[in-house]
Amino acid sequence: MKNKLKQAVALCVLLSASVVWAAQSGSMMKDDELKSEPFRDAKTLKALKAGETISMISKDGGWYKIKVGNSSGWVRMLSVRIGAAKQSASAATGLLALSSGRAATGKVVATTGIRGLNEEELKAASFNARELQLSESYAIKKDDAKKFAAQGKLVARPFDYLPDAQ
Amino acid sequence: MKTMMRYLPLIGLLMLAANSAALDFGSLRDQLKSQVNPKLLDAVDVAKEVRGPDESEEIAIGRQIAGNLLGAAPLVKDAKLQKYVNQVGEWVASQSERADLPWHFGVIQSEDVNAFAAPGGYVYVTLGLYRLLQNEADLAGVLGHEIGHVIRKHHLKILQQSKLVDAGGKLFSRQVGGDDKVQQMIGSGAEIVARGLDKDAEFEADRIGVVLATRAGYDAYGLPSVLQQIGHIAKDEGSVALLFKTHPLPEDRLTKLDTAMGERFDSIKGAALATRFYQMKP
Repeated sequence: MKNKLKQAVALCVLLSASVVWAAQSGSMMKDDELKSEPFRDAKTLKALKAGETISMISKDGGWYKIKVGNSSGWVRMLSVRIGAAKQSASAATGLLALSSGRAATGKVVATTGIRGLNEEELKAASFNARELQLSESYAIKKDDAKKFAAQGKLVARPFDYLPDAQ
Repeated sequence: MKTMMRYLPLIGLLMLAANSAALDFGSLRDQLKSQVNPKLLDAVDVAKEVRGPDESEEIAIGRQIAGNLLGAAPLVKDAKLQKYVNQVGEWVASQSERADLPWHFGVIQSEDVNAFAAPGGYVYVTLGLYRLLQNEADLAGVLGHEIGHVIRKHHLKILQQSKLVDAGGKLFSRQVGGDDKVQQMIGSGAEIVARGLDKDAEFEADRIGVVLATRAGYDAYGLPSVLQQIGHIAKDEGSVALLFKTHPLPEDRLTKLDTAMGERFDSIKGAALATRFYQMKP
């Protein structure tokens, strides 16, 4: 009984601590370090080289928990790219485009009933007063947004805009 | 000298105007109209031309663009979804310096991956983009980017640069008003949203999106996370054709964000709210 409770607690902690998703493969976008925990000053487990193949297990804020070779640990999210090192094979992407029902030109050829949004369609669009009214009817009052935030335990905090780092 | 004396009150008013960022030239014009020489009103129009349209005109322009965009792609018919994005959007927008704009958010019926902002507070995300989102922090980041375009008036500046709005008050007086006049300014349909902004405006909106999400209590890495997902879509896929044509590539945006964010967010924890995120039926 005690064990079960422990397991349940562990599961809850796991679920709340990080976003768990289906493992995704990726690669290192630049050199970085594999850390034992999702902090910059956590212990460095090993150096990771740009282009190295990794697999992402979960995400916690700006960090991915990854597996690389026989090691696992944490790496900064922005050092990582999802998918293979370089997407160069246009043959493969062509296939993808076909399977989603679109020709590589960006023209929609599928029969899904939902159209794409290209320049011509946007240019030719005419004013839809009914849809706009419907859209405006969903507006939320500031006080209700505050309540909504409180329900999610979101707390507003000051944070300066970022300078343009040229 | 006599003329000078006659213009003195106006000069004073205009100097006052220069000091006040929130001054509404429309109401100034109305006030003057009742008391002064009509010739002076031209001076107000000139001042307006320099400062751009006032807020009510900005909203009218945005409203016209939003109506046209909805003409190309209507709302997803899911009231809970639309209410949800308005709740998140309003909360994020209320962390900005233009919290009092009448903000409107929506998800539109298109499998394209894209999001649009129109002046005055109209923000729309495509269904294709919404499906890529994994939690509420992702949505907050995406909406934050579009809110960034609105608060920095990126599209409005484009309209002014292309001289579509430069006739200012003359073309667009409140007494005449009407949709046709506004439509003349924005060109054809919703083409303004298909026109790319300059790269720096996009990078700026990315930086704002991350900060507004953080201010709202969310995980700062929602927007970068979505950009990574988009970067994973093949570059010649139709669903991202317009997005990639009008925006820098996700990899460049992520590199810029990485530099701009640096270590500033290291000690900041935020909520992802994956469980509350409104899931679309497949």
